[in-house]
Amino acid sequence: MISKKIILTGSFGVGKTSLFNQFIYNRFDDKYLTTIGVKVNKKVIEIDGKELSLLIWDIAGEVSQDKVPNSYFLGASGIVFVFDLTRPSTYKNIANEIKYLQEIGDPNSIIKVVANKSDLVDEEKINEVAAEIQRPWDVITSAKTGENVQELFRELGRELIDAAE
Amino acid sequence: MRDSKPQVDSHQPLDRLREILLSEDREALQRIEQILENREALSERVSPIVEEHLEFLRQNFPKEFREVVDRQIDVKLKDSQDEILNVIYPVLGRMIRKYITHQFQMLKENIDRQIKKTFSRQGIFGIFRRRKSSEEILSEADPMHIEEVYLIQRDSGLLLGIASQQQTMDQDAVAGMFTAIKAFVEDAFRREQEELASIEYENYKIFIQNFPAYYLAVAISGSVSAKEKDQLASRLLRFAEEEVLQLPSEVTDTVRTGFSQKLEHWFFTDKT
Ligand SMILES: Nc1nc2c(ncn2[C@@H]2O[C@H](COP(=O)(O)OP(=O)(O)OP(=O)(O)O)[C@@H](O)[C@H]2O)c(=O)[nH]1
Ligand SMILES: [Mg+2]
Repeated sequence: MISKKIILTGSFGVGKTSLFNQFIYNRFDDKYLTTIGVKVNKKVIEIDGKELSLLIWDIAGEVSQDKVPNSYFLGASGIVFVFDLTRPSTYKNIANEIKYLQEIGDPNSIIKVVANKSDLVDEEKINEVAAEIQRPWDVITSAKTGENVQELFRELGRELIDAAE
Repeated sequence: MRDSKPQVDSHQPLDRLREILLSEDREALQRIEQILENREALSERVSPIVEEHLEFLRQNFPKEFREVVDRQIDVKLKDSQDEILNVIYPVLGRMIRKYITHQFQMLKENIDRQIKKTFSRQGIFGIFRRRKSSEEILSEADPMHIEEVYLIQRDSGLLLGIASQQQTMDQDAVAGMFTAIKAFVEDAFRREQEELASIEYENYKIFIQNFPAYYLAVAISGSVSAKEKDQLASRLLRFAEEEVLQLPSEVTDTVRTGFSQKLEHWFFTDKT
């Protein structure tokens, strides 16, 4: 079994903690309790018969990534950048944000862009966001319904295992 | 096995630790940050102090120590770059510690001599027994006890090894939280040069010994005298020097078992 660090980042209120809780505990809460500092938790998943221990860092969201302590990103094999489909301010500057993450993260880290709160938008709205966003997302999720949440982490896990081999 | 059950259900103590350490409103932090961010004002205050310390070191770092350091560097330079830091760091740490301890010892002896002289001159030496220091009394009543020793990869916070007297919380998450707290504190106060050396929580103290690629965190209960603290630090440095010669590129079960056994041996079975 190998261990890997993954960090959830993005603006405040986009659903990082909700994705974390959905993935680890299969639970969702409508209440918004902003994260203070960092919470770290672990989940072991199995991919093609191999066990992978994911240490997930759920951090306090910041409007722009350069406000996050740099050291949080050090040693992270996966960086998950989450934005909220219903709030343009959380993705309007996404190209720069991702560029910044590439610069400060480890050179080999894998970055995933996640469009969250899919349950709150219809297809028309999704197309609209897709047309205006500077960088396409890798996966569209709902922390509320659980849509694509396990898939997001399993896909990332698979890529991490491939990279380690 | 599909995705396994969460490994931790309740993190009560951990959450509290987090609250205590981190819930200091971010506002206050921002204010401090603003002050710290003003480079000029800060450097005006700090530069003379740094200069003074540098000068002191320049004049006081004994020649023979420098020679030993040079020799160490010569030997190790042939090896790979990454390894150099890992090897040199504990050695340097130990020498500096030794030097400082030595200076203190001399100071103490001087004082003792001074006291002895004064008292014998006054003819009362021998009437009073030497009284124990408050620290000594404390540490006898509530002896220091090592609860857990963590070896943690520095950047990622991944657990490389653990020796523990109990099996309570998820140690992986604890190692991650230590690292997050360290990063938060070190970053918040923009003190990359200085590193967090201990965390106190209820009657636990967590001592941290930093190395370039990893750090050791020791959870301790009971009261710790300066001497015990010093001995612990020396032991951590020696452990690093003798056992953590190379860090693996991947953190696997095998790696962890290996380091855990070493920690167990060094900190929980009497090693003399
Ligand atoms: N409908 C819906 N609500 C969501 C979803 N994800 C999160 N929320 C809600 O959005 C709010 C913020 O979610 P959090 O998970 O706390 O957001 P966060 O990114 O962790 O925020 P910070 O910790 O402040 O950075 C909460 O009220 C959640 O219930 C989602 O997929 N669908
Ligand atoms: Mg949160």
